[in-house]
Amino acid sequence: MGELRKSFHEELDEIQAGIVRMAALVTEAVPRATEALLESNLEMAQQLITADDELDDLSVYLEERCHHVLALQAPMASDLRALSSALRLNAELERSGDLAVNIAKATRRIYGTRYDATLRGLLVRMSEEACRLMRLAIDSYVDGNAGLAAALDDIDDQLDGLNRDCVQAVFQAHNDGAIDLQAAVQLCLISRYYERIGDHAVNIGERVVYMVTGWLPEHTGSARMKIREQYHLDETGEGTDKETDVETDEE
Amino acid sequence: MIVTLVVVAAVVVLALTAAVAWREHRHFVDAEESRRRDDELHRRQEDEVVESETRLRLSLDAITQGVVMADPDGNVLYRNPYAQPFIEARHGEALVEAAVAELLAEAARGRAVEREVELFGPPRQCLFVSAMPLRFEGRDYGSVALIDDITEPQRLDAMRRDFVANISHELRTPMGALSLLAETLAGETDPDVVSRLAVRVQAEAIRLSDIMDDLLELSRIESNEASEQAPVAIQHVISEALARVKPSAEDKEVPIETVLPALDLVVRADRRQLTSAVFNLLDNAVKYSEANQPVRVTTRMEGDWVKVEVRDQGYGIPQGHQERIFERFYQVDRSRGRSDGGVGLGLAIVRHVATNHGGEVRVESAVGEGSAFTLALPVSDDEPVEQEDSQDLQPIGVQA
Repeated sequence: MGELRKSFHEELDEIQAGIVRMAALVTEAVPRATEALLESNLEMAQQLITADDELDDLSVYLEERCHHVLALQAPMASDLRALSSALRLNAELERSGDLAVNIAKATRRIYGTRYDATLRGLLVRMSEEACRLMRLAIDSYVDGNAGLAAALDDIDDQLDGLNRDCVQAVFQAHNDGAIDLQAAVQLCLISRYYERIGDHAVNIGERVVYMVTGWLPEHTGSARMKIREQYHLDETGEGTDKETDVETDEE
Repeated sequence: MIVTLVVVAAVVVLALTAAVAWREHRHFVDAEESRRRDDELHRRQEDEVVESETRLRLSLDAITQGVVMADPDGNVLYRNPYAQPFIEARHGEALVEAAVAELLAEAARGRAVEREVELFGPPRQCLFVSAMPLRFEGRDYGSVALIDDITEPQRLDAMRRDFVANISHELRTPMGALSLLAETLAGETDPDVVSRLAVRVQAEAIRLSDIMDDLLELSRIESNEASEQAPVAIQHVISEALARVKPSAEDKEVPIETVLPALDLVVRADRRQLTSAVFNLLDNAVKYSEANQPVRVTTRMEGDWVKVEVRDQGYGIPQGHQERIFERFYQVDRSRGRSDGGVGLGLAIVRHVATNHGGEVRVESAVGEGSAFTLALPVSDDEPVEQEDSQDLQPIGVQA
């Protein structure tokens, strides 16, 4: 049994290393995409699009590995949560990588656009902020730091604010005639892509909280719905069970 | 008689028994001695092996290159301290560890392989990972991977390439213009056109001469030749630099706010070099500011350091460029730099002056908010040496 557990934990460690590697690929892809965009570097954009295959390959491998361990070891409690979280993180990171590819593809669509200092600065700051969030999310995952993971939602406010500023700056630049409509639309989308990468980091944080504590933000909504259903049944006189052990933890 | 014979026989038997016992004893002692010697030899050989292995391990620990050794099955046996952080890395550097694992697996199949891993960080890094099989006299001892940080050599190589490309370009542009203007002049008879063209020839010649002056200045400062360091009141240096930048600041309507330091704030410096450094900082601040965006010069003493800060509210410098702006000919936005008449030598001059004086220059900047350059120099307790021209240098007409 001891041997089996040892091998199980080695498997878990390897899966964690794989997730860290995926996150590293994402945090390296985002600044590259930003540089390709700002320097109108089509070669770099193409390299990024091709390099996403590595992320996809790793994602498929990790998913299979997780399924394999789930099927063979039938883990329970925190071990099960660690595996199900790894599956979820895998999907979040894979999607984040796709968003970096989207930025690279948008670079090709608006090739040759010149950005003023404000736009340039905002795009660079969004890229840095998205990467920072992703790094914090991975730190919280590796350290099992539920406090940091839960704080990511609030840390993300800054990126949301930058997204609003960036969209505003794009409209302004378009109004001033500095960029055409196609570029304006693409730049708004790019801004949204950065913001979505931040959202994925927040999702990772939520999963880390679940992995460590077993609690998910959705639990609150689910509990609320159960109470509502019960209350409705009581009103119609059909339900009799007023006892409930579901706690609401509304923030 | 019989008794005598019996006694003699007994004595003989006893003597023989004693001799046999003695011989056995000797054998036993010799065998013991031989075993002891063998043990001693083994222990000494073992000690020598351990000593040699420790020496090798310590030597590998000491080198500034990552070394990772694996057995023929791919299990890592040894990793020196330089390679250690990569295995614990969580962010970009985790990719280096992945490359090491992949290359070791490849090398275990008997093929030497290598890969460059570029990390955008921050900080930006470039690492060269290579792996090779360890085979000796037909026996497989596993494989070894080496990790080299080639960030600095790559940066220097890029700088050298940029320098050659830039200097050719910067010199060719005015030379090309001069050649064209001369060609037009040769066939021109209208005195008005000739005089107009002559003015342009002169402007291009001045531009060329400015570039050469900057280059010579930089070269002089870099080699620190004929540098005469003497105690100088920092106030005089700033006033002189302000006087030099005043015409262009007035031209662009960029106000310069100055808080001049006390006269007794003294640094030990080559006055000419230091003035050139402060002037370049001011000149850049003016160049990259719009009209009515003020430039502020403050000087303060912090511990043993005199800090001259030039702060503007201009375009600002993107994060990714801040590490490189002190390189020769480096410009964040080439089109703008050229239109403002800069070739990208100013900050290289500032950095070298700072180094020559045992100080440093730092930049803080955000795009759209402006930049602040701080030149820090060690303070001097000496009395300033008054120079002939310093008598006339009163704070010039700028707001205090």
